[in-house]
Amino acid sequence: MKSHVCEFAPKDLLRLASLPLLPLALFAVVMHLGAKSHLLPPPRPALDTERTILIHQAEASRESRDAEVLLLGDSSCLMNVSARQLTEQLGRPALNLGTFSFLDLNAHALLLREHARANPVRLRAIVLLMHPESLRRSGSETYYLAALTNYLGGLDHCQAETAAGQASCLLGVEIFQGRILSRALPIPLPGAYGRHYGFTRDLENLLTRERGSAIDPDPKPFEGSAEYRLAPTLERASKNFRAAVPPGVKLLVGITPAPERFAGPRYPQLHADLLRQWSQWLQADAALTNLPPALPDDSFVRTTHLKESVIPRYTGQLAAGLRPHLSP
Amino acid sequence: MLFNSGVFLQFFAAFVLLYWLTRNSLTLRNCLILAASYLFYGWWTPDKVESSSANALLGALWHCRFLALLVATSLLDFSIALGLDKLPTPRSRQWLLSASIAANLGVLGFFKYHDFFAQSCSELFSSFGIPLQARTLGLILPVGISFYTFQSMSYTIDVYRRELPATRRLVNFLAFVSFFPQLVAGPIERAKHLLPQFAGTRVITLSMLEEGIWLILWGMFKKVVLADNFAPLAEMAFDHSSFTATTVILGTLAFGLQIYCDFSGYSDIARGTARVLGFDIMWNFNLPYSAASLREFWQRWHISLSTWLRDYLYIPLGGNRLGTTRTYLNLIVTMLLGGLWHGAAWNFVLWGLWHGAGLALTRVPIFNSQFSILNSQSRRWLSWLATMTFVFYGWLLFRAKSFTQIADMTRALADFSAPPWIGSFALNLVVFAAPLALMELWQFKSRNLLAALSLPSWARITLQGSLLTAIALFWQKKGAAFIYFQF
Repeated sequence: MKSHVCEFAPKDLLRLASLPLLPLALFAVVMHLGAKSHLLPPPRPALDTERTILIHQAEASRESRDAEVLLLGDSSCLMNVSARQLTEQLGRPALNLGTFSFLDLNAHALLLREHARANPVRLRAIVLLMHPESLRRSGSETYYLAALTNYLGGLDHCQAETAAGQASCLLGVEIFQGRILSRALPIPLPGAYGRHYGFTRDLENLLTRERGSAIDPDPKPFEGSAEYRLAPTLERASKNFRAAVPPGVKLLVGITPAPERFAGPRYPQLHADLLRQWSQWLQADAALTNLPPALPDDSFVRTTHLKESVIPRYTGQLAAGLRPHLSP
Repeated sequence: MLFNSGVFLQFFAAFVLLYWLTRNSLTLRNCLILAASYLFYGWWTPDKVESSSANALLGALWHCRFLALLVATSLLDFSIALGLDKLPTPRSRQWLLSASIAANLGVLGFFKYHDFFAQSCSELFSSFGIPLQARTLGLILPVGISFYTFQSMSYTIDVYRRELPATRRLVNFLAFVSFFPQLVAGPIERAKHLLPQFAGTRVITLSMLEEGIWLILWGMFKKVVLADNFAPLAEMAFDHSSFTATTVILGTLAFGLQIYCDFSGYSDIARGTARVLGFDIMWNFNLPYSAASLREFWQRWHISLSTWLRDYLYIPLGGNRLGTTRTYLNLIVTMLLGGLWHGAAWNFVLWGLWHGAGLALTRVPIFNSQFSILNSQSRRWLSWLATMTFVFYGWLLFRAKSFTQIADMTRALADFSAPPWIGSFALNLVVFAAPLALMELWQFKSRNLLAALSLPSWARITLQGSLLTAIALFWQKKGAAFIYFQF
């Protein structure tokens, strides 16, 4: 017996399957033409927590700001120091351009160059803060580095490594999402970030209000190992970063704290050695040796980030360490 | 395997090609459907295993384990049905049917409810000061078990009732139980309707293809574009530690829309896929949020489950034939078990109880005449509003994680403050609800679920192309699982 009988011609099937592709193709053409002809606004893909923070910091680096003290570094710089409180305590405007540990010093140098270009006069000191975990990383993660460089270069964030990625780029998905959707619709942030901050726009507004600082609302158990060291690639990246520091501006460097028991009893000595070596590579004007190498475990929401209640105290310690270097 | 994944698109494309190649042999076609369905089912790996398995071999063993359960259930019911057909005495037939029901519900109960009841017993004894160590087994719920168990069970019951002869074609029966378009989340098909379709030549007409393609697109749009964008809104509202009236109301709306778009999207894709292959599976949803009474809601929501519960539980319990009080009791028991079918948690029991009590209450004459002073139009609007309020509060019970959360969220309905992000929340809700509302209004007004197919050719192509574009824009690389997979 026959399995099935088709009461249609092959051309009917072709018509049914292919005609809906026409509007899709038309949409892709419109997106690409709109992007090429600059009829569409430039890409600004603030579509998730990470990219919202990254784009906010990149934008902040490009704007003309009043900052005299510029904080740069990984997420421990972003989440452990309150730039607003630091401004109050120093009596000098501070701006936090901290991002993530997924980005290395070369990427931080990019932000620094952008800032120096937009603000050639006011800056007095650059404070580079990183967690020991970030210091052992050997480089930026491709995705995040591409997100940053694409944004700074006015390019759409296309990931064409896979066939699906190529199709997505071809259809103009990233153009639509990065240029239209992210501007038209606030996107809900997932998980604890959503519960704490709300939507992408709320996170951006908060970052602006807090002069680039945020807090980590997502507690996680301590993970990783405490065998901290400096990555061999850090030396070259440090020199590159140093080269981006404008003349006459002080470079101050510090290592953010680790959980006391997690890091172990020998860590304070290791911390001092790491800071000394890294500071030499950076040719820093000073190392912030007054910052605590470790804090009690209950001060942390995760291995790298402090609790909201501990941030003012840590910011105060940072301010105390910075004051001698900022006096006229 | 998820419908909203690249793997499924590849799988379906390959399947259609092979399906066409087997067009001259019914047996080959059914074997192909069976093999593809088992592959489709075996592709699923529970999260726990994925994260813990050290190698692919262990993963493969897990696949076989749950597939074996599906095959065993099918073989058992196939054999029992043959026995039911042959046995002459009612008593022996009754015994055999009882064995089938006990085996099916035993397997379902073991996987789905063992830990829940063990935990609940332990808590109950603890509340009386009697320490009882509950032995939970940490069982993984095989995906789709509630659906295929009910589908398979209905077959033996129908054979027992002599409404259907037992099939002697094993492959047809195995293919009926595991038919991949509706295997993991329904609709729960009746053997009377689907099984004969495996025994004959299927005729695929142009209109069936048109309907199939439309349903696949519209179902995919509801899942990928709507449900997956309502999901983070519902999560934001329900997973928050503090609630206000605005977050509870908008969060519950978001969840009600998410679960509808997710589940009806799946059902549409299932029906559409089957249509393209020449099969007909039942409509599972018929504009449920247009219902103006609770009874009407249940005639429109998850139709395959509500009719299953009606035919195999409510009516055998006595239905409405044993007096008013017994009717109310039967309704409550049926809905309570229907709630429990959704999952092993007390909030599902409460949700079932809520709907059972609601259905019983709306049978009280005073509720039927409540708006009698109003004209029919106003009466319908008010009834609709009351029904939707009832249904959406039910979603709050369904989605909440604990009784404490239910109490907190209910109390919060008196707090009219709003978090700063409520504007963004409302904007998202409106943007994603608008296409659904427009389409359903059109379907409701035209009394046609396939109203889009009546459009002129150019307009239909534009509409389908727009849906396809939206799906491409919101497609997630790692597709989000359908909510009903967990049931």
